[in-house]
Amino acid sequence: MQLLQIALVGGLLALDGTSMGQFMISRPLVAGALAGWVVGDPALGLVVGALLELYLLVSFPTGGARFPEGATATVVAVSVAAAAESAGAIPLGVAAGLIWGQVGGVTISLQRRVNGRFVPEPDTARPERLAAAHLAAMALDFLRGTAVTLVGAAAGGWGVRLLADSWPLGGPDSSGLLLVGGAVSAGIFLRDLGGFRRRKVLLVAGMALGIIGARFL
Amino acid sequence: MAILSRRALASAFARSFLIQGSWNYRTMLGSGFAFAMLPALRLIFKGDPAGLNASVQRHLEHFNAHPYLSSVALGAAVRLEAEGASADSVRRFKMAVRGPLGGLGDALVWASWLPAVSLSALSLVWLGAPGWVAVLVFLAIYNLGHLALRAWGFQAGLSEGRGVAQSLGRAALSRWTERVRSLATLLLGLLVGAVLSAEGGLGDAGVLWSALAALAFVAGDLVGHRLWRPTAVAVVAIVAVITTWGWFE
Repeated sequence: MQLLQIALVGGLLALDGTSMGQFMISRPLVAGALAGWVVGDPALGLVVGALLELYLLVSFPTGGARFPEGATATVVAVSVAAAAESAGAIPLGVAAGLIWGQVGGVTISLQRRVNGRFVPEPDTARPERLAAAHLAAMALDFLRGTAVTLVGAAAGGWGVRLLADSWPLGGPDSSGLLLVGGAVSAGIFLRDLGGFRRRKVLLVAGMALGIIGARFL
Repeated sequence: MAILSRRALASAFARSFLIQGSWNYRTMLGSGFAFAMLPALRLIFKGDPAGLNASVQRHLEHFNAHPYLSSVALGAAVRLEAEGASADSVRRFKMAVRGPLGGLGDALVWASWLPAVSLSALSLVWLGAPGWVAVLVFLAIYNLGHLALRAWGFQAGLSEGRGVAQSLGRAALSRWTERVRSLATLLLGLLVGAVLSAEGGLGDAGVLWSALAALAFVAGDLVGHRLWRPTAVAVVAIVAVITTWGWFE
């Protein structure tokens, strides 16, 4: 039952990714919190969502580019992490999310090809046919997101129950490993902003504020 | 010029939120654009089914732009159709604006506004704010900008029609992009500082992980986007190796 709920949440969030609204409830931070609430562990959902938000900080749904699908990836990651209780649950969940984000991205590309067949040719289109095709494509996107999440959560849950107990690192080392990966994303974003040389004053000022905030808040 | 009801305009604007619903590699946003135009076109071509069909067909042609800023083109196209502009001039207008609306939107929203708001929410998490506060702050701030941009774009397009490029110029979106990017830099620094010092952060993980994270950050800054996929693969591979290692211990 919970797997079905997770899959439906994945389907709904996938719709927000491109088809409907883009209110960014599909971003990992929000998707993680929602998925955590569904699996009964909102704190875990938030941690996994925050980590994937950092990883996907530089992943945008621009134009026709293929991009990792953050929504289904995060829902799968939270579901996987919730299926085990060792220190390896979160790293395995994040790894599953990173893999499933790529799978989700491939299915988005496939769906866009299918949409091309749905949509009527411009020279023969009629309003009713156009509206029906458009709504059908959105329904298909929901089904795609639901199916991607269902398969990912089921396979990931099985995998994590098999592997999580053999995770040899403790909590701090596991966090360190995941933050090193996240640091690459942060560095890439700094480059997008113009790089360290151009942005060093603001970056260092922000770091000072962050250090002070973390110490005194 | 045909009179457009508030209801038809509101319906077209509401449909602009679904403009990517049938995104495809053939017409890209074209089908979504025509779908969003329908309520207005039905009113403009009331009693003229042939005119309605022809209009739907020209809006269904290839079009692409940033989804939020496509509301600019949508508003302007509604106005042009209501004024009875020729098919060619509507087509030329859409071809002229699609590039700038894509470029400006990608730079302002995807590459600046979204990551800046993400960074502010992540900083809140690391500085110890309750998770639901960070999530609500993210959604509220992001969508304030998102909805304002869509509404402004539709209104500007509708009121200026073909001359909407001047509105875009006056709005100085590029200057706004630069401001948001400066804010994003500050927030990125804030997050880095918080992750280094906060409880459960790199400080607690030890010197080795902090040094590796610093190297990873510098590598990201030097190499850029080419490093994203290898990083994801590396994280997955390392997690797999560590797990397998523990299996045989």
